[in-house]
Amino acid sequence: MSRRGPEPTPSGSGGLVRLYHVSKAYQAGSWALRDVSLELEKGELAFVTGPSGAGKSTLMRLMFAAERPSEGQILVLGRNLGRLGPPGVAKLRRRIGVVFQDFKLLHRRTVEDNVGVALDVVGVAGPERKARVFAMLKRVGLQHRRHQHPLSLSGGEQQRLALARALVNDPELLVADEPTGNLDPELTAEIMELIASAAARGTAVFVATHDHALVERWGKRRLRLEGGRLVEDVRLGRP
Amino acid sequence: MSRRGAARARASLAFAGALRGLAASPVTSTVATATIALCLLLAAAFALLLGNMERVLERFGEEVHVSAYLADGLAAAEQERLAEGVGALPGVESVTLVTKEAALERFRASPFGRAALVEGLDDNPLPASLEVVLAPEARSRDGVEALVAALRGVPGIAELGYGHEWVEGYARAVSVVRGLALAIGTVLALATLLIVANTIRLSIYARRDELEILQLVGAGRAFVATPFLLEGVLEGALGGLAALAALAAGFRAARALLGGGLELLLGYVEPSFFGVGGALALVAAGAALGLVGSAAAMTMLRVARP
Repeated sequence: MSRRGPEPTPSGSGGLVRLYHVSKAYQAGSWALRDVSLELEKGELAFVTGPSGAGKSTLMRLMFAAERPSEGQILVLGRNLGRLGPPGVAKLRRRIGVVFQDFKLLHRRTVEDNVGVALDVVGVAGPERKARVFAMLKRVGLQHRRHQHPLSLSGGEQQRLALARALVNDPELLVADEPTGNLDPELTAEIMELIASAAARGTAVFVATHDHALVERWGKRRLRLEGGRLVEDVRLGRP
Repeated sequence: MSRRGAARARASLAFAGALRGLAASPVTSTVATATIALCLLLAAAFALLLGNMERVLERFGEEVHVSAYLADGLAAAEQERLAEGVGALPGVESVTLVTKEAALERFRASPFGRAALVEGLDDNPLPASLEVVLAPEARSRDGVEALVAALRGVPGIAELGYGHEWVEGYARAVSVVRGLALAIGTVLALATLLIVANTIRLSIYARRDELEILQLVGAGRAFVATPFLLEGVLEGALGGLAALAALAAGFRAARALLGGGLELLLGYVEPSFFGVGGALALVAAGAALGLVGSAAAMTMLRVARP
């Protein structure tokens, strides 16, 4: 393994996500991510693995512009994140679905509104909003809970709700940080089915996980981070 | 969706967000509304007082006249001739000759029970006079002074009365009240802006998780900020309505309590409350205060970087 880590795949010139020698330090000299280069294609499902503190969450946050890189360049959906101002960041995020480890649900709003808020920001309203929210909730099996509030849902249901919000806009990129972290194997399979079907429809997917079984079962590409460096980038050769 | 439909949907979302904000922090919202109401109540009370005082001045302007008291011993024919001469002066609309007898009758009929004062008198001590009404274009301080200067040189006129000292003193009082209202209004408005801005800041702080999530799903600054701006406008408009209601109640109570005394204070001008325009202006002033206060608080909003 070279010190600089794997270079972006040459064939990936049309990648939806491209990182060029990206480093991130929260404090001077303390690198959360060091010299990472990679590309992700349309419809690709990649798992990012590694021990705690390896830089998985930092990598995820860089992709939806929650952080700026200290060094290097990041292109997401054709936009250079280093050059985006707040309006540009907002527009880019409308094309990205994000599932957070702690779900980040709106507890004062109903299940229906938690999903609908992603449509609100892109201006989808009225009957179309209602229909799309209902269809999405049906896909994650929460349509019967749509008038309840998130705190009345189980952990697994909250996780599915977070995924429903991330997918309702048919995002071009889905970034999921430990999306099955709190789930039993059955629910994990359900969630992964949803994520895989999004990838099958053309969404590029990054999933950060500790769960090797998940990678073995679902992964088409495995990226491994250690100490902030990308030490492995393997295509697993599944159809 | 049409552009108009999308705009309506955005407005509806923003309005719902503002109402949610008000409901989520009822105590801070009530404090902001009450502060705006108090500020507007004081400012509007001054404005109401000023408006009524200025009407007194206007009325004086409309009714301005100069009384020229004639020297004793002038024959009736001379008095008539004098009246004609004065009527020909520039800036004079009309002249009425009030004879000694007519002056005494008026004195007896005055509403302050003065009849007894003249009951025992052998002679009529009141002089005849000419009541000179100014032409509309001459109804000003300069017009009065020019006419008075002209009348001073007319033989047979012993004394002039035109109440200028009272009017000038009243005008000075109006000017002081106006200055006070401006100064107090400015200080109160600034204090209110600070309180509203801090209230909205508290509201933003209480809902920071929600705002962070909205920004993470791609909400732009306008989408996030508009409900807070509307929240300020609603608090302000409610404050304006409360101030209007309190002032109307106070005005009614003052009229009931003081009765005719209020009219006397205002120089027999019937006190009047704000019209529809004034009432709307008061509510709009509250809304504007709320809007500016909210806008000041918006500096807290940043793109979320969790």
